[in-house]
Amino acid sequence: MRIGLLTEGGYPYVGGDAGLWCDRLVRGLEQHEFDLYALSRGREQETDGLVPLPPQVTRVRTAPLWTAPDDGVVYGRRPRRRFAECYGELATVLCAGADPVPGACSAELADRFGNALYGLAALARAEGGLGGALRSDTAVRALERACRAPGAPRTAREARVPDLLAVAAHLERALRPLSLDWYDDDTLGAADLCHATAGGPAALPGLLARHFADVPLLVTEYGVRLRSHYLALGPDTAAPAVRALVASFHSRLAAEVYRRAEILTPGNAHARRWQERCGAERGRIRTVHPGMDAARFSEVGESPDRSEPGTLVWVGRVEPAKDLVSLLHAFAEVRRAEPAARLRIVGSPGGHEGTAYLGHCRALAAQLFPDEADGPHTEGDNPVSFTEIGGPEAPTLPEAYAGGAVVVRSSVVEGFPVALVEAMFCGRATVSTDAGAVVEVIGGTGLVVPPRNPRALAEACVALLRDPERRARLGAAARARALELFTVEQNIAAFHGIYLEIVSHCPVRRVVLDATGEPLPFAAPAESRLPGHWPDPAARPLPRAVPSWVTGTPVRATVPAVLGEGAR
Amino acid sequence: MSAGGDGWRGVAGDLARRGTEERASGGVDRPGTPSAAGAWDARSGEWLGDDPADLGVPPSAPAGPGSEAVPSAAEVLLSALSDLTDDAGPSAVSRGALPAPAADPGTAPLTDPRQGRKRAPSPRRLPGDPVKTLLHRHRDLCERAVDPLEIAAGLEAHGVTDRTAARFRHRDVFSLAEELYARVPRDGDARPEPDPPPVPRVRAGWALLILLPGALTGATVAALRLAHGHTRQLLVLTGVLAVALATRAALRHGPLSGPRAKHAAGGTRACTLWLLAYALFGDGLLDAVLSGGPDTLPTGVPYGPWPTATAPALALALACAPAAWCAHLLTAGARRRLAGSRGLEDFTSAAKPLLLGTFTLFLGALAALLPLTGTAPREAPAPLALGALLLSARLLTVHQYRHGPALALGAAAATEAAAVALPLAGRLPGCAFLTTPVRTLVDTWGPSAVPALACGTAALALLLHATRTLTRASAHAPTGAPE
Repeated sequence: MRIGLLTEGGYPYVGGDAGLWCDRLVRGLEQHEFDLYALSRGREQETDGLVPLPPQVTRVRTAPLWTAPDDGVVYGRRPRRRFAECYGELATVLCAGADPVPGACSAELADRFGNALYGLAALARAEGGLGGALRSDTAVRALERACRAPGAPRTAREARVPDLLAVAAHLERALRPLSLDWYDDDTLGAADLCHATAGGPAALPGLLARHFADVPLLVTEYGVRLRSHYLALGPDTAAPAVRALVASFHSRLAAEVYRRAEILTPGNAHARRWQERCGAERGRIRTVHPGMDAARFSEVGESPDRSEPGTLVWVGRVEPAKDLVSLLHAFAEVRRAEPAARLRIVGSPGGHEGTAYLGHCRALAAQLFPDEADGPHTEGDNPVSFTEIGGPEAPTLPEAYAGGAVVVRSSVVEGFPVALVEAMFCGRATVSTDAGAVVEVIGGTGLVVPPRNPRALAEACVALLRDPERRARLGAAARARALELFTVEQNIAAFHGIYLEIVSHCPVRRVVLDATGEPLPFAAPAESRLPGHWPDPAARPLPRAVPSWVTGTPVRATVPAVLGEGAR
Repeated sequence: MSAGGDGWRGVAGDLARRGTEERASGGVDRPGTPSAAGAWDARSGEWLGDDPADLGVPPSAPAGPGSEAVPSAAEVLLSALSDLTDDAGPSAVSRGALPAPAADPGTAPLTDPRQGRKRAPSPRRLPGDPVKTLLHRHRDLCERAVDPLEIAAGLEAHGVTDRTAARFRHRDVFSLAEELYARVPRDGDARPEPDPPPVPRVRAGWALLILLPGALTGATVAALRLAHGHTRQLLVLTGVLAVALATRAALRHGPLSGPRAKHAAGGTRACTLWLLAYALFGDGLLDAVLSGGPDTLPTGVPYGPWPTATAPALALALACAPAAWCAHLLTAGARRRLAGSRGLEDFTSAAKPLLLGTFTLFLGALAALLPLTGTAPREAPAPLALGALLLSARLLTVHQYRHGPALALGAAAATEAAAVALPLAGRLPGCAFLTTPVRTLVDTWGPSAVPALACGTAALALLLHATRTLTRASAHAPTGAPE
């Protein structure tokens, strides 16, 4: 099976987003062929080069998203009219409001948006020169007409000339993937399946491949692209009219992606809720949790508890959102109940803000907890210690978790809690605050308290510190749950199953023509989509025009083996 | 509330009281507040930690942990929370939230020391409308949001989850955000006038650089008058090279610098060079051709058998400075009008006089420079037309319109080339009639009529083109991609 993997600012580039996950996916599913289609996000990425790729990656195509090569094409009258129609339609839909709430009226708008988008893509495919046209006076005029039309929302009606120009520039940037030459029969059109590793710009080529060549689309979103657009396009970045129109475009695009994708795989329930909200059908969503390497935690997780009794451990990146102040106050209450308790904070600060916050927390710890000594003649020590990974107390990450009887998390804002999963792999009992995907990750295998509630946190910690048996029980359950849900293997297996499901439900039907232009029946046999490589290396490139049974060696599917099993 | 619940609360309250005392004595900073602006402010705890009774949840809802140990409270919470994805609804969530004591240690204990003993929520903590409190807290976000999803994203970034939203009796953050979006007052006239976009500044670099071609040309011309023989050829070579480099530098910086074009620039450049060369040597060449020559090469002085028109060339080189200033005026004026106009038509009607005004200004400056450099009034139209043509072509190129300038420059260059080629072709036997139009023209108006006509027509065409294209808002869009 040939899979077109679509990334944006990610995988094949060194240090790209989600590079590790994509690498594991590609290496883990070596029975498939992967074609990489990567959009780069900046000049540095292109100069830094690509990571080493495994042999199952048969092709890498890259395109810049940060610059628009000017192909110098100026439209004649007919393409210009077509462009004006499509862009005008797009602008009208954008001015109809941003929120794609499912409904009859909205379905019509979504259709119109899709038609306009595909119209522009077809124009770019046939004539080229879309970039220049998107910046042209025709485009700005169409935007103005749509904004001034009766029924446009008030923010859009207030758009001034600079706002219109800014919107046109934003749209030009967002629609750059339309001008790519990736949609022919020997590029994305030859794939059996497009897998977009993110929403937004990465999924746009997948949408077009689906439109032009009926290639089914699978979209994986670990962070909701639409949401990050909203956060990036804050109130101070642009005028309200610009923000309204651009937000409207992005939410319409997200809705179109969610509508057209065969299967959506959000990384957690939070992403899933956003997708459902933007019109994704429930039946086509499969949550696939991100996988982590469990092997390095197995030693700690399987060995008996060697932790110092009464030690709480916090591991992570020191940031204000992690609310360590609340943790210190909780620990103050823990100390009142359990005077022997100690707290170990392991982590390095993230950025300037994190450094300042770490200093703040150190000062607070010094104020709350005076140094203590065992006797009158020994040197004292603070019950709260701040260390980094690699220090004597925590030489490695698993050791850091192993040193604690209980792992504590006190975040106020959280995405997918990686550190919590690591603690689960280490078989630690955990107390965490209910933020982000924590509840979904922990299931029933740890304690959860409301965020910003030091007393509840303290009570839960004390309860676990006093009850070693319960700690061991919860830790074992957590490890079992993490091994079931959050390993790399489950992630890859899930995608393997989803690939097969998609291909079995909606195979690409290609009509292959022979030399005289007559359609060749049975030219693309079903066997061509079986997982696994062809026995004959000469048949590997697999031009679907020539079925392998034509070339001589008969193809044996897996049927005889199955029969043998059954007969026995 | 059951007795068990009170007992549990008593334990917690005891802890709280002690915490309060210690904080009061220790004088430490506020607990539970991330110091960064991104997270919650100190008051957020009020509604987060609210007792469910405040929100009208029936008191019959199980009060949570019962009389046994504290930790099971947390587990009850846990199960309630993990059930949430099913249809547990607000009551389960409120129950889950119950271990959050009514008094958030971030605010209440410092102001109300009684709470350690008595855990009844104080009356002032009974908002009739919890959403209103939330709206007040996130007023800025809600007022400036362009749609409900933006509020939802902002709330989530502040730590609001579906569990929190359930306390406001909403199914999820999205419906809470919708209510906030619907309830926030949006008065139309509050929007401030946008700041005008930054006008490109006058930099000393290009202001000086733009004087360089004129200065170098003046120096070359002056040196040529003094020099003789071989020194003169050397001088001509050096002078032309220096002026070419200076002009290239002047066009790379400042308001005359256009986008770097990889293709289609070669032809335009060749045409421009041909036009300039014709302005220098063309009139002498045409005279010589018509009188049977040319017999010698030009010597670089404005007399002799093949005179060189140094005075108009000097005026044109000096005119680089007014050209740059005119381009700057056009850009700055267009930016101001862009910010000030409501619609595209407004901008077009405001930009047209601006364009024509700057153009007239340049022509006036060039017309003043020509007599100063010693150009005869009879020969003035040709350099004037050439200057107009070059400026309009450059302005169009700077604003990304390359097609028109290439055509116009090519046409002018071709016309001039034809004017020289036709008399030469007329020398062939039987082709004498080819000479007639050029000879008539030269006899009537002199040899400078040829470039004046060729460049004048092309300049007029380009000016008409510019009044259509350069008055569009899209021509003045700020370059550089938004992000």
